[in-house]
Amino acid sequence: MFRTDEIIKASKLPPEGVAMSRHIDHIYFIPILFITIVGTFHMHTALLCGDWDFWLDWKDRQWWPIVTPITTITFCAALQYYNWVNYRQPFGATITILALGFGKWIAVYTSWWWWSNYPPNFVMPATLLPSALVLDITLLLTRNWTLTAVVGAWMYAILFYPSNWPIFGYSHTPLVVDGSLLSWADYMGFMYVRTGTPEYIRMIEVGSLRTFGGHSTMISAFFSAFASSLVYVLWWQFGKFFCTSYFYFTDDRQRTVKVYDVFAYATLAHGDKAKIGGKA
Amino acid sequence: MNAKQASKRWIMGICGVATLAFASVADITPAFAHGERSQEPFLRMRTVNWYDTEWVGKSTPVNGVTELRGRFHLSEDWPRAVVKPHRTFLNVGSPSSVFVRLSSKMNGVPMFNSGPLDIGGDYEYVVKLKARLPGHHHIHPMLAIKEAGPVAGPGGWMDITGRYEDFTNPIKTLTGETFDSETMGGMTGIMWHLFWVVVACFWVGWFMIRPMYLVRARVLAAYGDEILLDPIDRKVGAAMLVFVLVVVVVGYLAAESKHPISVPLQAGETKVKPLPVKPNPLAIEVTHAEYDVPGRALRMNLHVTNNGTQPISIGEFTTAGIRFTNKVGAAKVDPNYPPELVASAGLTMDKEGAVMPGQTVDIKVESKDVLWEVQRLVDILHDPDQRFAGLFMSYTDGGERLINPVWAPVLPVFTRLGA
Repeated sequence: MFRTDEIIKASKLPPEGVAMSRHIDHIYFIPILFITIVGTFHMHTALLCGDWDFWLDWKDRQWWPIVTPITTITFCAALQYYNWVNYRQPFGATITILALGFGKWIAVYTSWWWWSNYPPNFVMPATLLPSALVLDITLLLTRNWTLTAVVGAWMYAILFYPSNWPIFGYSHTPLVVDGSLLSWADYMGFMYVRTGTPEYIRMIEVGSLRTFGGHSTMISAFFSAFASSLVYVLWWQFGKFFCTSYFYFTDDRQRTVKVYDVFAYATLAHGDKAKIGGKA
Repeated sequence: MNAKQASKRWIMGICGVATLAFASVADITPAFAHGERSQEPFLRMRTVNWYDTEWVGKSTPVNGVTELRGRFHLSEDWPRAVVKPHRTFLNVGSPSSVFVRLSSKMNGVPMFNSGPLDIGGDYEYVVKLKARLPGHHHIHPMLAIKEAGPVAGPGGWMDITGRYEDFTNPIKTLTGETFDSETMGGMTGIMWHLFWVVVACFWVGWFMIRPMYLVRARVLAAYGDEILLDPIDRKVGAAMLVFVLVVVVVGYLAAESKHPISVPLQAGETKVKPLPVKPNPLAIEVTHAEYDVPGRALRMNLHVTNNGTQPISIGEFTTAGIRFTNKVGAAKVDPNYPPELVASAGLTMDKEGAVMPGQTVDIKVESKDVLWEVQRLVDILHDPDQRFAGLFMSYTDGGERLINPVWAPVLPVFTRLGA
């Protein structure tokens, strides 16, 4: 079904080398790559879209669908670069969001529930997995990061609100308390006391987007898509900057060349390795 | 590894395990306060002057409803360094959500959203609380002021008895359904998250079952990507794309049909008028004030005029939630008020008698107690704006209470007078 045999043959690795490479796959992928993304990306998200993803009463129709995709497509783009350009693996965004979700759910049950006693439904994170899957599939099908930035990144942001509506739609059910109309989410935010988070800190329904005939969500989603596209390009380049390996080689005639083929490094003689510089 | 190295590692490991084990059984005293004493004195004395705070029901069973209520005056001497109360929110200072706040009203107006308050105004608040987490909890009223931060009121202890497992909080919606706030939406959300995790794991797993990194990197470097881009991956990718889009659309439409009536999050502003100003026949002006550092006393010279028809006796000076009373004031203190915040003989005057109708008199008042030190109000000496403010409580012979806000610059005295 797969081209695995053909690929292994082309790699010119002996059977022991192939077996070793699988061990490296497993050791590198799960304990190192995945856990590293959990730590770094979780922190990045907590800092940049933290409250929108922490609290039920921050998940509005205006800023939540803008802030969350824009701040999360960042690592997706960088990890896509790394996985695609070096290995042609189209799961960079998915693994990134899976790692984020892993960290988020640990936080839901340790920080929010066990430590702070907030019920999980009040601090439930949003899902970005459908968006990430579409982003990865776009890269696989187009094989072009520019098209992925235009089509995939737009889809990433556009899909965010509808894919989360089944999880959070109920929280917009209206109710009346003391003669005041509130959404369920508003009342949850009011009931579960947050000493350091007064109501006015919420950044919801702020600005003039609502003047577009009341269709705030659509406008927000399209703005988010546009911005996500730009952020995708930027972070793809970050991925390139941090994930490109090269070295400088100075030959016996004192000519220096920049070499991107890092596999060539392994074939250099010991004496030649002393002549290199760069970040191989 | 030789025997010496091995033994070193064993010893280090045993020390680590012992440290962890000790940490789990160590008698660590939990913190019971919210850092209110760390707020600067000028913030606590000259912004919100809390009074009549009541922690109704010192002990409440889980699911029982109780109240936190009281009043506050927004000081006319509002510090320049603190943003004016253009947007405020009545909050509760508590260790997490030990109570669920069912409602809060300020001067009878529901305060679900924040809003502006008037400097110089008095406000009466009632917060209805439902007991949730058993324990011995320190609860403060709190006024959060946008761009200035929270100003904590006096803290009192409230006990909750019973078991958390018995807590329920059913809420009826406008559409006639009743949901429990502890669980509503939880399982649905978890199921959707799990569903997408399974789909995502399938997607990643599809590539994990084949050599992932080293082999592919070598082939890519040597031959380019033609071999690596397996046609079956494209077919699976296209099918997955259709599947994801269909599930998103169907899920969205299903949620829409399940919750057809929805409203956006409410981001309004609550407008509350101050309490009506009652006629006050007593006029009090501070003509001089000094803080005696070694004596832990705030001394004030008051110029007092009684414009009423009854004798009036000064009974209490309160600031930052701390109450200095004399005999007249001590008799009026709610016995449930936290004793650690009351200096019951802390207010002395050189003219203790009542101010007679029509009389104008200069009185030297001293509010003296270790509370100035304990509550860290002595730090006023380090403030950039050395002033104080507070409320004087006075009583007519008929029992009516009169409240006079006062404020003035304060000068430090570093040696005992007469020493």
